Amino acid sequence: MDFKPLVRFQDVHLRYGNGPDVLHQVNLTLEPGSFHFMVGPSGAGKSSLLRLMYLAHRPTTGRLSLFGRDVSQLDRKETSMLRRRIGIIFQDFRLLDHLTALENVALPLTITGMPLEKVRRNVSELLSWVGLADNLDSKPPTLSGGQQQRVAIARAVIGRPSLLLADEPTGNLDDKIAERLLFLFEELNKRGTTIVVASHNEALVNRFNHPVFKIINGEVRLIRSAPVIEQNTESGAA
Amino acid sequence: MFGSRNDVPLDKDASSRFLPWLIAVMVYLATMSLIVALTMNKLANRWDQGLSNSLTIQVPAGQSPAERLAIEKKTVLLLQEFKKIPDVKKAEMLTDGELNKLLEPWLGKDVVLHDLPIPLLISIELSQSSARTLDAINALTAQNLPTASIDDHQRWLGNLLGLAKIIGTVSLLVVLLVGGAAALMVILVTRMGLAIHRQVVELFHLMGAQDAYIANRFQLHALKLSMAGGFAGLLLAGLTIAAFSTLLGQANSALLPSFTLTATEWGLLLLIPVGASLVAMITARLTVLRSLALMP
Ligand SMILES: Nc1ncnc2c1ncn2[C@@H]1O[C@H](COP(=O)(O)OP(=O)(O)O)[C@@H](O)[C@H]1O
Ligand SMILES: [Mg+2]
Repeated sequence: MDFKPLVRFQDVHLRYGNGPDVLHQVNLTLEPGSFHFMVGPSGAGKSSLLRLMYLAHRPTTGRLSLFGRDVSQLDRKETSMLRRRIGIIFQDFRLLDHLTALENVALPLTITGMPLEKVRRNVSELLSWVGLADNLDSKPPTLSGGQQQRVAIARAVIGRPSLLLADEPTGNLDDKIAERLLFLFEELNKRGTTIVVASHNEALVNRFNHPVFKIINGEVRLIRSAPVIEQNTESGAA
Repeated sequence: MFGSRNDVPLDKDASSRFLPWLIAVMVYLATMSLIVALTMNKLANRWDQGLSNSLTIQVPAGQSPAERLAIEKKTVLLLQEFKKIPDVKKAEMLTDGELNKLLEPWLGKDVVLHDLPIPLLISIELSQSSARTLDAINALTAQNLPTASIDDHQRWLGNLLGLAKIIGTVSLLVVLLVGGAAALMVILVTRMGLAIHRQVVELFHLMGAQDAYIANRFQLHALKLSMAGGFAGLLLAGLTIAAFSTLLGQANSALLPSFTLTATEWGLLLLIPVGASLVAMITARLTVLRSLALMP
């Protein structure tokens, strides 16, 4: 199951339409089990970089590989199978208002054809774990912002993704709660999930001991590398 | 995979309200057209049977009574020949009395027919019309009474049958056109649904839902709506026909078609809402798949 590397950008450029390069000559690799931050001011291109990783966009030029596969070579079925191994926490959560918290979290499983009844127990356990045991049947509009965010996180991890991408998950949280959220991500990371967190809050990011990419003028640079984390050093051939 | 929960909230769309009505109207029109086509077909068959089983032969009478008498004799002999043909049920010369009756409105009572050069009329009834029988009659007539002309109603009937066929064809064309319009409507409604639920569709897509899963949501929705509308339309058409039949039954006209349908014909009518629903379902599916193909 291990791929070395899990994500690989080689000379990737990204343009929207005929606009200028939003991302310019990106070269980066993410090893399985790593935890990276992605920083840069608003409009720098953090969301764009994540969108490339969760296959909402394709590179304008250059080569992007996920799980050892060149994404331009994938057929539709392979692409959807690959997407199922990626958990996404959207900046705006993108919860479905007409479904309950439980149904929302179950979506990554039910869209693969699993019946809700089969996954109900797993889903409610996960919701309890994020502190929403009492809100299983609540619809998102009746939940607070923080609760909605936890539903979004639960949904992103219910399918045990190999790669978790979080776009400004700490966006409108106060520092204390934001920190707790990042601890939660570290917990998931310890269980083997590769994590990328985009944030414009460098002060918060600096309190954690993980490598940081910064996007400046469309270029992605590793501005801080972190010491290797012990539990990720076991070698695994792809 | 087939019809679990409604995770794309299509039920709340405006389309859920108006699509069944549109489909109902379309199915109503298509059903009525098909009934017209069926009825025309039946009517044509009835005319075909009723009329082509009888034919008339006109024999011009000579100028003088002597001539007329000779022709009459020949005609009587010919009648005997006709009767030997297997499918000829009846062959007779119209009597003076019958001719009188026919001519009365034009000529007045008590005209002495022998004084007028009125043609003799032979009426033949067949138990079954076939080209062979008609050929035999033609041949006998040409041989024995070369001046006679046969009116087998074919030309007149041909025109009528042609008309019936045209009406039938036009009705079927209407069914097809209505089907096409319904399909366009479903494309429109599906596109609207895709636009309204773009976020949901995109979310499912990014989570790794296969195109077929998303298409299923829309195609089941279209199927549900068009089934409801389709059977409502069929019911309305049924009521209309029932009302017509009652009215026509009172008029009791032999010329007008009867609207009573056989079980097969009812089955055919049942195919319209079923067909419309299938067309709607397949159209919705293809529309969604095409639009998903544009997503990376
Ligand atoms: N879909 C899009 N079409 C055109 N331009 C876009 C689109 N998405 C983002 N951009 C532009 O790309 C740049 C980077 O945006 P984004 O990736 O959202 O940055 P960030 O997430 O760091 O704030 C911005 O200038 C933005 O206007
Ligand atoms: Mg952003």
